[in-house]
Amino acid sequence: MGIFGKKKPAVSEQQIKEALSQVQDPDLHQDIVSLGFVKKIDFHKGKVSLIVELTTPACPMKEMLRDQCVDVVKAIEGVEDVSIEMTAQTHRARAIPDLVQGALGQVKNIIAVASGKGGVGKSTSAVNLAFALQQKGSKVGLLDADIYGPSIMQMTKVGKPEETKGDFIVPPIFAGVKIISVAMFTEAKQAQLLRGPMVAQIIKQFLTQIDWGELDYLIIDYPPGTGDIQLTLSQIAPITGAVVVTTPQEVALIDVRKAISMFETMKVPVLGVVETMSYFMCPGSEKKHFIFGKNGGRKVADENGVPLLGEIPIEPVVAENSDKGKPVVISDSNALASLAYNHIAGQLAAQQSIVNSQSDRALTHFKLEWV
Amino acid sequence: MSVNIQVKKIWQEDARTLGILWTTGKKSLIDSVKLREACRCALCVDEWSGESKITPGSIGDDVRPIVVQSVGRYALNVHFTDGHTTGIYTFDYLHEIF
Repeated sequence: MGIFGKKKPAVSEQQIKEALSQVQDPDLHQDIVSLGFVKKIDFHKGKVSLIVELTTPACPMKEMLRDQCVDVVKAIEGVEDVSIEMTAQTHRARAIPDLVQGALGQVKNIIAVASGKGGVGKSTSAVNLAFALQQKGSKVGLLDADIYGPSIMQMTKVGKPEETKGDFIVPPIFAGVKIISVAMFTEAKQAQLLRGPMVAQIIKQFLTQIDWGELDYLIIDYPPGTGDIQLTLSQIAPITGAVVVTTPQEVALIDVRKAISMFETMKVPVLGVVETMSYFMCPGSEKKHFIFGKNGGRKVADENGVPLLGEIPIEPVVAENSDKGKPVVISDSNALASLAYNHIAGQLAAQQSIVNSQSDRALTHFKLEWV
Repeated sequence: MSVNIQVKKIWQEDARTLGILWTTGKKSLIDSVKLREACRCALCVDEWSGESKITPGSIGDDVRPIVVQSVGRYALNVHFTDGHTTGIYTFDYLHEIF
C-alpha cells in the first residue's frame, strides 16, 4: 500500500449484482436481478450509479424498492455513495390483431372499467384512475365507450377532435390524457336511439380508427351491464385487464358478480374490485358512516378470488368537481377520494404487471391459414 | 370456467387435422369435419332444446378450415370451405370435447 494507505478496494459488478439480488419485487415474488430490472451498473471512485427499470411508472413500491437497493449496495465494503435512477417500461405480453393494429398497435395495456349496473360511479372512477396513472408518469388514453350515457366530456373539459391523420382521428388531450368519447360525435341532448348492429359498428370504429399512438394504459369506460356492447368491446379490443366498480350494498353486488363472470367467460383477467360510496365522514369528524352498507366490495372480491383495489369515500368535492369538468385527482389532490384513487391506480398497475408476467406463456391472438 | 385454459400453440397437423396445445398441458388433435360438426352457433344449434341441428353425415368429408383465428381472449372462429363462418368455439368447450 502506498502512503495514502486507505486505497479503496475495487468493487466488481458481480458483487453489486449479488447484493441487489437480495431485493425482491413483492408482487412478482422474484428478485430484481433475475427479473432483469437492473439495466446499468457503474462504479467509479466509491460511487455506484444504477438504473433500475420497473414494469410500470405507477409502481406503488417504487420508493420502497429504491430504498432497499440503496441499503444493500451501501452495505458492500468500498461503496461510499449510491445513486439510483428509477425508470419504467410497461410490458406488453401479447400480439395485436390486424383489425386494431393501426389504432392500438402501440398501446401496451388496455383496461376495461365496468360495472354490473349503472350509477355506481364507474365513469368517475375511470376518469380519476386515468388521471392518477397519468400523474404517476404513465402515458394514458381514455375511451368513453358508454354509448347510451357518455359522461366523460362533462367530467373533463376536453374539446372535440380537430385533427385527422389519414383515416385516423387524433384524440384531443385534456390535462395530459388523450380522450375520445362517443359524445364528441353527437349532440348533447340527443338520445342514442340505436339498434344493436349500429352500436357494434360504432364501437368497431372507436377501436379501429383512433390514432392513440404510444400509450402505457388505455382506460375504456364500459357501458354498465353485461350485454351486447360489452361483448363486442371485449371481442374486438385486446383487453388486458378489467376493473369492476361497485357500491357496497347487496343489490349492487348481485350485478357485479355477473360482470366478473362475463370477463371470466371472455378470459379477460379481472384485476380487482373498486368500491365506491364506501363511507361518509362528516367534516371535522373521524367517524365513518357506512351509508350503503359495509365491506360489500371486500366480500365480492374475496368470493371471486380477486383483489379489492380500494374504497372511495363519499365526498361532496368529487361530484362537485366532476360536474365542473375537473376530476378530483387533479383539482383537489388532498381530498380523501384523490388519495384513494391514487392508491388504487398504483394497485391496478401492479396487478396488471403481475397478470402480464403470468400470461407470457399463452398465445392471446392468432390467425392460422389452412393450406 | 377457467382463465387458465388458453392456447399455447396452434398449428395444422396434417391436411385435415388442427392441432392445439393448451396452457393446461393437454394436446388436442381435431379433425376438420368433427370440428365443423361440433359448431355451437345459432345456425347449428336448436335455440330451445340446445341440440345440434346438423344431421350426422351431412357435412361433406372434404370440408376443411380456410382460416382459424382468435376471438378476444376466450374463443376461436373458423371459416370453413362449405361457406360456414359463424362458429365461435370457446377454449373451454374445445378443451373439454377434444
